Amino acid sequence: MQGSLRFDNIEKVYGDRVLLSIDTFRMNPGECTLISGDNGSGKTTLLKIMSGLLKPEQGTVTKNEITLSWIKARPILQSESVYLHQAPYMFDTSVFNNVAYGLRATKVPKSQMEERVWQALRWGNLDHLTPRNAKLLSGGERQRVALTRARIVNPGFLLLDEPTASMDRGSRQQTYELIQRLQREGMSIVISAHDVEAFSNIVDRHFFLEAGHLHKVDIGTKQHKHKSNAVVTPFPKNR
Amino acid sequence: MQEVYQATVDALFLLIAADPGIWEIIGISFSVSLQAIIYITPPSLMIAFLLAYGNFRGRRALVSIFHTLLAVPAVVVGLTLYILLSRNGPLGDLKLLFTQTAMVIGQMILAFPIVVAMAHSALQSSDRVIWETAKTLGASPQRAMITVMYEARFGLFAAIVAAFSRIIAEVGCSLMVGGNILHHTRNIPTAITLETSKGEFAQGIALGMVLLILALVLNLFLGSARYRFEAA
Repeated sequence: MQGSLRFDNIEKVYGDRVLLSIDTFRMNPGECTLISGDNGSGKTTLLKIMSGLLKPEQGTVTKNEITLSWIKARPILQSESVYLHQAPYMFDTSVFNNVAYGLRATKVPKSQMEERVWQALRWGNLDHLTPRNAKLLSGGERQRVALTRARIVNPGFLLLDEPTASMDRGSRQQTYELIQRLQREGMSIVISAHDVEAFSNIVDRHFFLEAGHLHKVDIGTKQHKHKSNAVVTPFPKNR
Repeated sequence: MQEVYQATVDALFLLIAADPGIWEIIGISFSVSLQAIIYITPPSLMIAFLLAYGNFRGRRALVSIFHTLLAVPAVVVGLTLYILLSRNGPLGDLKLLFTQTAMVIGQMILAFPIVVAMAHSALQSSDRVIWETAKTLGASPQRAMITVMYEARFGLFAAIVAAFSRIIAEVGCSLMVGGNILHHTRNIPTAITLETSKGEFAQGIALGMVLLILALVLNLFLGSARYRFEAA
């Protein structure tokens, strides 16, 4: 079981613009967190920092009550989280090889790998697409491959950047259902999205990113989540 | 015109009849240039990758230097290498002057900046999402690098083909450090130069045809690989 991760005093600067200035943000095991915000508000940057792909100008990460500098935290973040781009990149190979990538990268024995890949393909309802080149799939199919490819490495935290953006209704529904299944399986998920409504039934917490700061949005109980109920309150500095 | 026509017919006859002299020269050319390209490809691709994806001081200056080195004439490389390898030069004790090894070294120096500059452009224009996807799925930096290179393989292959085409056809460096010695260091371009100076156009044309056919085959191969990928 993964412990929680807390990010403190995260600051990211581009040129002379302070894009992010996050006092504190915690990723709890098994929780689904939604981060919304306008275009260019820094949602992608924040998710990339959380995944260890991007280095902030300053900040610390606390895991199991041990505070780590960014240099020490980065490999932990990279090994415990998977970040999915808004338009996931498909490697120029079959769907099978795409899903198997993470297992091959972490040198999982071939005997175990094949079984796990087939299991994952069935989970993502991708078994009929297995031999096809993943680059030639539709947007919805690509997102399914990307989610399956992420799930197979069993990350502590799954960071989804606008997972249903630019999708037709059917694909959006399929993607949403897969995310819901991941959430039911107990995976910790952080979603950045414009479409707050679509995820209102699965999120445990909602933050609004504005001017580099995270504001907690009151979403009520899980049964009564609705945008109209949302009340923006400043996120407390130290929890 | 009649003379050119006759020389071309003679050239075709030399090639079809598998003249041993011609094929020995072709063999030396391929041996030297293939060795050079095989030796420089791994380090060149690594450097190109570091220049495209690395974040260190002086990176842009290095890219500019490699682009500048593209313009260095083969004779200048040949002259420099000649001075270094000649008996009184700092590397004279190695006794490499007028050997195939010297030609390989010269061609490596010529091909190196070509592969680095062109591979850098190919990698620079590749999607950075590839690197991030590989890393987030648990790939080590080395494995992520190989993944990025695989995804940019057509651009990288084009860089290697361009460098190979350049070195197999260069005359200045091979002539100066190889010495154009029959059965040892005479390759296609140096042989063409010699035969033309003797007025023996047929052999020169035959060897020129080999170079053209080679360029055609390499480009057809690259084109068909791309076409198959895009049509898949």
